[in-house]
Amino acid sequence: MFEFLLNPIYQMWIVQGLLLTVEITLFGVLLGLGLGTLLAIADIYGNRPIKVAIAVYVEFFRGSPLFVQLFLAVYTVPAILNIQIDHLFLAFLVFGLNSAAYQKGYMKGSMETILDDQMQAGLSVGMSKIQTLRHVILPQAYRIVIPSWTNEFCSLTKSTATLAFVGFRDLVGAGRSILINNMQIIPVWLVIAAIYLAWISGFSKLMDIIYEKKKIPGIELLMQ
Amino acid sequence: MDVWQELIILLEGVPLTLSISIVSFLIGIVVGLPFAFIRVYEKEIGFVVDAYEKIFRGIPEIVLLLLFYFGLGPYFPSTFGNAFFTAAFVLGLRSGANQSQIYRGAIRGVGDEQMIAGMSIGLSKWRAIWHIMIPQVFTFSTSGLGSEYALLIKDSAYVYVIGGLAELMKRAIELKYSAADVVTPFVISALLYILLTFPIAFWLDRWGNRRKKKIGL
Repeated sequence: MFEFLLNPIYQMWIVQGLLLTVEITLFGVLLGLGLGTLLAIADIYGNRPIKVAIAVYVEFFRGSPLFVQLFLAVYTVPAILNIQIDHLFLAFLVFGLNSAAYQKGYMKGSMETILDDQMQAGLSVGMSKIQTLRHVILPQAYRIVIPSWTNEFCSLTKSTATLAFVGFRDLVGAGRSILINNMQIIPVWLVIAAIYLAWISGFSKLMDIIYEKKKIPGIELLMQ
Repeated sequence: MDVWQELIILLEGVPLTLSISIVSFLIGIVVGLPFAFIRVYEKEIGFVVDAYEKIFRGIPEIVLLLLFYFGLGPYFPSTFGNAFFTAAFVLGLRSGANQSQIYRGAIRGVGDEQMIAGMSIGLSKWRAIWHIMIPQVFTFSTSGLGSEYALLIKDSAYVYVIGGLAELMKRAIELKYSAADVVTPFVISALLYILLTFPIAFWLDRWGNRRKKKIGL
């Protein structure tokens, strides 16, 4: 049943597919974290036009499926601009931009639980607004946001399965390639499913451990 | 083919997108609600719910759709061989895992006092849950359920991978080939998805907040 796992070419496809899935997810959640933080700060302190622009950005990326966004990025954008752009680059970008729209919300929520009191405290000891954000607010906000960030990681990883349908050989793409020559449909998808499950559960477990280790003592009281 | 013809073709996919999402949402309620109460009140078998949630958190919907439709479909032609059944089954069970977490939060929000009050006037545990907890749990979950509904609308695009159902995403991708147009179908379908997700999530949240105020929560 699972003999296909012994074929070196299939093994290579699966490993390369997993690597692509892992790379694009990690890139996506990290770009999303950076951009999401900037968007959250801009949304808290920005003026009205900035807030509206951010709301439109977030509504677009959260309101439509990543699947459609991927097609827009890979086919529509190059067609409108009439230039050739590397598909992989565009795919990386769209995962990052999509994740930023979600993470902006998580970061904003996380910062708002601690913002008011601690900003005043920071200003009163003579730090500037930016210094307080950088040295007081953000280090705590990042620790509070870990569970939401882990959820975002899980859902982004699952979304990367769409890559197989715009011509990449990610983990699902590897499964599809194997099935061209091999009719073991159930075993192939079971193996692919197990690899996703192991990678997502393993990484979430790691993040849970980091969260517990880095948790701000007594933060539960603040979150209520 | 002009833009209007493409728009009409895409619009004709909206009812199917909506029905996939709504049926999945209902399956999600049927699975999620009991699971949430089991997780909170029957701690000994709570690990089953945990495992269920972990599995659906860790396996992409696309892989499950491919596994059930192409893998099990040939053996169970009347159930998994049916594209709509498989779509609603996979997305519904996945939604059940999410909804279980949403209701669990709501149960904690409603609070234990109400359960105790119900049981002290002679209701059994499950009758107290049915008559006292569940009505309030829904009020408490509106904002979570709004985003879960939006998530299902977006997830319904994954159903494209099994073919056979001409929902919005499938129609957009087919137009890419039949109309040789890569701009209009994807721009319009993105806007349609936004139109489908935005109002419901927004109104559910507003309605929930008003209702919570009204009953003094």
